[in-house]
Amino acid sequence: MSNDILVITEHMDGKFSDVSFEMVGKAKELASALGGQAVAVVVGGGVSSNVFASDSTIHIDDAALSNFNPEAYGKVIEALVKEKSPKVVMFGWTVTGMDVAAWLSARTGAPLAAYAKDVRVEGGSLVVSSQAYGGKLMAEVAPEGDMAIVACLAGSFPVEAGQGSTAGTTMASPVDAGSLKVKFVEAIKPAGGDVDITAQAKLVSIGRGIGGKENVELAEELAKALGATVSASRPVVDAGWLPRTRQVGKSGLKVKPKLYLMLGISGAPEHLEGMKSAELIIAVNTDKKAPIFNVAHYGATADLFEVAEAMLELL
Amino acid sequence: MNIVVAIKHIPSIADDLPVKGNNVDFDSVDFVLNEWDEHSIEQAVLIKESVGGTVTVIGVDLIGELDNALHLALAKGADKVVKITADDPAADSHMQAKWLSEAIKGMGANMVFAGVQASNDLDGQIGPMIAAYLDMPYIGGVSSVEANGDSATVNKEFAGGAGAKYAVSMPFVAGVQSAPKPPRYAPVSKVRQMAQSATVEKVAPSGDADVRERPLRILKMAPPVVTGHAEMIEGSSKEVAAKIVELLKSKGLA
Amino acid sequence: MLTTIEKIIFIVLAITAAGFTFHGFKTIIDSIRKGRPAPELKNIPASLLNAGVKVLFQQTIFKARKVLSAIHMGLFFGLITYAIVNLMDVLEGLVPGFDLVYGGKHIPNAPTGLVNAFNLIADVMSMFLLIAITVFLVRRFIVKDKALTYRDNVLLNPKVKAGGQARDSLTVGVFVIMHVVAHVLSQAYRLTEGADPFMPFASFLNSIFGVSETGVHVAWWVSIGWVMFIVPYLSRSKHTHFFMSPINLGLAKQNPRGQLDTPAKVDPGAKFLHDLSWKRVLDSYACVQCNRCQDVCPANFYGRPLSPSALEVNKRYLLKEATFGSHPDRLLVPLTESVISPEAVWSCTTCYACVRVCPVGNEPMADIVDIRRRMLIDGYEIDSGVQNALQSLATNGNWMSKGKRLRGRWAKEMEFPVKNATEEPVEHLWFVGDTASFDERVIPNTKMVARLFNQGGLDFGIMYQNESNSGNDVRRVGEEGLFEQLVEQNMAAFGKAQFKQIVTTDPHSFNTLKNEYPQFGGTFEVKHYTVTLLKLIEEGKLTIKNKLSNYKVTFHDPCYLGRYNGGFTAPRKLLELLGVEFHEMPRNCENSFCCGAGGGQIWMGKVAPGERPAENRIKEALTTFGEGSNAKTQLFIVTCPKDMIMYSDAVKTTGNEGKIEVRDIIQLVAEAVGIEEPIHAPVAA
Ligand SMILES: Cc1cc2nc3c(=O)[nH]c(=O)nc-3n(C[C@H](O)[C@H](O)[C@H](O)COP(=O)(O)OP(=O)(O)OC[C@H]3O[C@@H](n4cnc5c(N)ncnc54)[C@H](O)[C@@H]3O)c2cc1C
Ligand SMILES: Cc1cc2nc3c(=O)[nH]c(=O)nc-3n(C[C@H](O)[C@H](O)[C@H](O)COP(=O)(O)OP(=O)(O)OC[C@H]3O[C@@H](n4cnc5c(N)ncnc54)[C@H](O)[C@@H]3O)c2cc1C
Ligand code: SF4
Ligand code: SF4
Repeated sequence: MSNDILVITEHMDGKFSDVSFEMVGKAKELASALGGQAVAVVVGGGVSSNVFASDSTIHIDDAALSNFNPEAYGKVIEALVKEKSPKVVMFGWTVTGMDVAAWLSARTGAPLAAYAKDVRVEGGSLVVSSQAYGGKLMAEVAPEGDMAIVACLAGSFPVEAGQGSTAGTTMASPVDAGSLKVKFVEAIKPAGGDVDITAQAKLVSIGRGIGGKENVELAEELAKALGATVSASRPVVDAGWLPRTRQVGKSGLKVKPKLYLMLGISGAPEHLEGMKSAELIIAVNTDKKAPIFNVAHYGATADLFEVAEAMLELL
Repeated sequence: MNIVVAIKHIPSIADDLPVKGNNVDFDSVDFVLNEWDEHSIEQAVLIKESVGGTVTVIGVDLIGELDNALHLALAKGADKVVKITADDPAADSHMQAKWLSEAIKGMGANMVFAGVQASNDLDGQIGPMIAAYLDMPYIGGVSSVEANGDSATVNKEFAGGAGAKYAVSMPFVAGVQSAPKPPRYAPVSKVRQMAQSATVEKVAPSGDADVRERPLRILKMAPPVVTGHAEMIEGSSKEVAAKIVELLKSKGLA
Repeated sequence: MLTTIEKIIFIVLAITAAGFTFHGFKTIIDSIRKGRPAPELKNIPASLLNAGVKVLFQQTIFKARKVLSAIHMGLFFGLITYAIVNLMDVLEGLVPGFDLVYGGKHIPNAPTGLVNAFNLIADVMSMFLLIAITVFLVRRFIVKDKALTYRDNVLLNPKVKAGGQARDSLTVGVFVIMHVVAHVLSQAYRLTEGADPFMPFASFLNSIFGVSETGVHVAWWVSIGWVMFIVPYLSRSKHTHFFMSPINLGLAKQNPRGQLDTPAKVDPGAKFLHDLSWKRVLDSYACVQCNRCQDVCPANFYGRPLSPSALEVNKRYLLKEATFGSHPDRLLVPLTESVISPEAVWSCTTCYACVRVCPVGNEPMADIVDIRRRMLIDGYEIDSGVQNALQSLATNGNWMSKGKRLRGRWAKEMEFPVKNATEEPVEHLWFVGDTASFDERVIPNTKMVARLFNQGGLDFGIMYQNESNSGNDVRRVGEEGLFEQLVEQNMAAFGKAQFKQIVTTDPHSFNTLKNEYPQFGGTFEVKHYTVTLLKLIEEGKLTIKNKLSNYKVTFHDPCYLGRYNGGFTAPRKLLELLGVEFHEMPRNCENSFCCGAGGGQIWMGKVAPGERPAENRIKEALTTFGEGSNAKTQLFIVTCPKDMIMYSDAVKTTGNEGKIEVRDIIQLVAEAVGIEEPIHAPVAA
């Protein structure tokens, strides 16, 4: 048994996702409190693992594992956990981490704390703050036993703290790819045509405050600088300033991005229906009584054009 | 094709959730079907409609009110419904998964579906756990399942519209995120008809001894501190812009 | 006049024609009887008589198209006259010596004066008929009145598409012209003694064509012989309406407008034509195919593929093909493929305009609701927004996915306690409704209603979380089971409460509570808040302190308050008492134009492109106000929470902010009475 923390990182197309770095950063903090090591675990080939600020990195560098496979990843991690007996195993509560974390918990009997927004050490033991019931409640939980599994919501910790370099120890995969019941067949690429706003992590959403079609370009520029996509309220779409595929709301699409930056949208319930579960909502509106300020996380009573232009200068 | 759908009855988050002690005050909340379960039921019925077979819907009856959800499932096309009479509203995912897998064990399922997640999965989702307890492979985030013989073609979603196709040999457990078609609507008259005519099979909970020993201890539960109002960024437009950019950078969003 | 051979031929023809006509009507009646049972009708002879009177005075057609209706009235009188004329012609043909020309002076003891009067009327009517028919034919074939055509996206029977209706009209039109001309000619050829002053038209023709014995015979045969063919034809053509519409009017819906027929227990709703009640099978035979209903249909206006008249016309053609034609199997084609497209079915706002305007008492809207009912049972994939609303209604008792316990939250924020009617007795049980309870935009108005009730000393309470959606629109979406469930929930809540009457803010709830809850044993006195407020003012319990002469206002009659329940006066009276400058929009009261939200439309997840009815209505209001001086604030007054949402949106989308403002009447009453929102009122979270 060790006091080490294994961080199960995630990658796709040769790039690690942000949550991987976030967790590594957090793991370092926890490891020093627990007197163990923060170990980044990279499963699969086709990616350079020397990018983490972890104390050490284990790379199961097997080309057969390059594409995510829940069964194979689960078995690899289970074997690793048996071998290393860590104190904590961290997953991202993502579409990949979700497949393995709870399975591992049931296999090993170790408790799992999901939807984690924060993890800390209190009096030598782990305390996790989890977002339960769709964010309606926050729960403080203490995983008991020798090992704990924590699945972290993306965006909970800073990315920078996990970035760095540590050469990895390479390991062979303990799993016989031929015996797997789940087989990766092929990747499915996003469909063509107009962008799918429901699949975007960041949206710059414009309302009637944008004033006219000619101003949409400003929003496009801002979106580009942020790596975001432009979406809109219905009036903007009705006016033909943007195609219907960009409409958010009751009669449009429901979105759940990490960032929803709203420029000149009042916050009618029909619009809210489509975006209220966005992770970070920032609203810029000239009307300080605009209802959107009851829903947004951050707001500013300001002119959208001035703010957008000033932001462009800074980005 | 023998498909078992494991469902979860969970506190409705349409209301504010009152807290009692260190958990939800289960006496003063409404229980509803987990929204993703509607998709897994739909996916199961779609497969049955295309290749034949039976759909069994099974859930843990936590407060004695699961019947309505089961009748709904029948109205949507399930053939058989089973409830595990636990009468323990605080039962966590591990316990429910254990009870469910004990009950599913003898059913000869080719596929077991569960909703990809539920809002009360504080200790993880039941799908992967059922898979672990039944020693079947699990695949989650599933957006379509097509049965062909003794294996299935399963699409899993990643972020940004990307995804991947997998071939999975049966039996397996899938966590359904969305059915290929929106879950059908079951008219209330049909549900009521089911309530009058259908039988709900009852199973006693069993097999939970080992999971009870390793709990995730809940220390505290409380609504998050929200102001009900956005935190206002003050200052000139330039200052506002600077603060927004700073905020985005700190969250890794710019 | 006729020779013996001619007489024999005539009698044989007449018997054959009667046979065909009988067969025609028998087929029609058989087909009507195949329909499902309809709600029982009371006192049928009296209502048939009443309908007869209405038809005689052509009352029902004047609800729209005044000029054409006047011409139709002439045509109608002309044809009635012609029934007698034809009888006389037959008598002239068969009875030797019976001849009406010259005042019937060749008939022994003839009442000359009467005959002359009859001759004059018949002669003038003949001329009028020719003119009227020509007008209608010109309208259809030369002017090609758009009102007689359908939108391209409307599902039409192939025969209709190929111009079947036009051919029908042309046949009958040409028949009438030939019949009338031949009749007059048959008289003209007999005027051996020169002009008859009581037959100016015949005399005129006589001056051209002269006298001819052969001519008399030929003309008689053309005029009366034709009838032997046309009468059996009529029973098979759209002109069956001559006979069927008076009957249909006589058998028209007797229940309140706001009460839908209860669906059958087994296979509820309609998939095939004969799943409709017999009354609504009859509708299609009665249909004049005048398209008046299409003219007033908001969905049709909005470019949706819905035309209530096409629905009736398609039903009629389907029946014709199946019963008179050789395609009985056509009746086994689902209505959604043969009569109305699914998209059209789901475009109806259930505004009742089509039923109200129909001169012959048809109920296309009721068919649509029945079709929806069956589509739901059959698992048709309904619009996602509607589905979400229904699911939320089933679990939360409201369509807005809000928790039950949040329903009374606004009341807890009031500066005075609002009674819980399920816990203590109240005089007025206020049924608040979903929109007024949950929508942040409407809640300030809800609170204002509470304040005015409070100020007026009204003993009132609400049912807090015990209230469920009334189910009005749920029923109109076709979800009868859910409607029943909601009724049961509300009836249980009412059972816990003690009250004298119900007051509602929402016209939709008002309608179903008043007209449909009695079907479930809930007979209450139900009032709309406009009536309650008016009473408080008239009784001096609320005093108007400020006259609002600085406002120029118009008023929108909500379908479920106005057209459905006749609540036209209270809001207008209120506005008058408030002292505003009132302008009536052209489409008002019975003829009000739907905002487009009803019948579940407000739940729709997909919004079609095109000018929305509400937008059109805002434009109508602005046109009503005219350019004029803008010194006064122009207001669009509503008395329905849904209208508040629909029209506020429409003002924005038509770019008319600053020109016109949407307000609930409560806001004006509050201003006039001098109530303001308390400064310390807690802000809604
Ligand atoms: C139950 C459920 C419901 C959902 N509902 C919605 C919804 O209503 N609306 C909506 O918009 N989305 C929805 N999603 C998708 C959701 O927004 C996220 O995709 C999902 O929650 C995981 O997000 P994430 O940002 O943590 O991980 P993601 O960023 O989605 O990561 C997914 C996987 O892809 C890889 N990856 C992705 N991006 C990168 C990158 N840039 N670099 C390296 N690797 C990368 C990672 O390895 C990771 O394993 C839902 C997801 C789930 C599971
Ligand atoms: C049945 C139905 C369905 C609907 N479905 C949808 C839907 O799916 N999606 C949807 O979005 N809407 C929908 N709506 C419309 C909805 O009710 C609102 O009308 C709409 O969301 C308002 O859009 P908005 O916020 O862009 O415009 P507005 O409400 O007009 O808001 C514009 C805002 O911009 C601000 N502004 C103006 N100029 C500036 C400036 N220079 N800088 C900063 N701020 C400025 C103003 O203060 C105002 O708050 C629906 C309505 C109905 C009735
Ligand atoms: S009820 Fe109204 S919307 Fe429906 S068909 Fe009739 S006129 Fe059209
Ligand atoms: S249903 Fe009535 S209004 Fe409509 S076309 Fe027929 S007769 Fe005219």
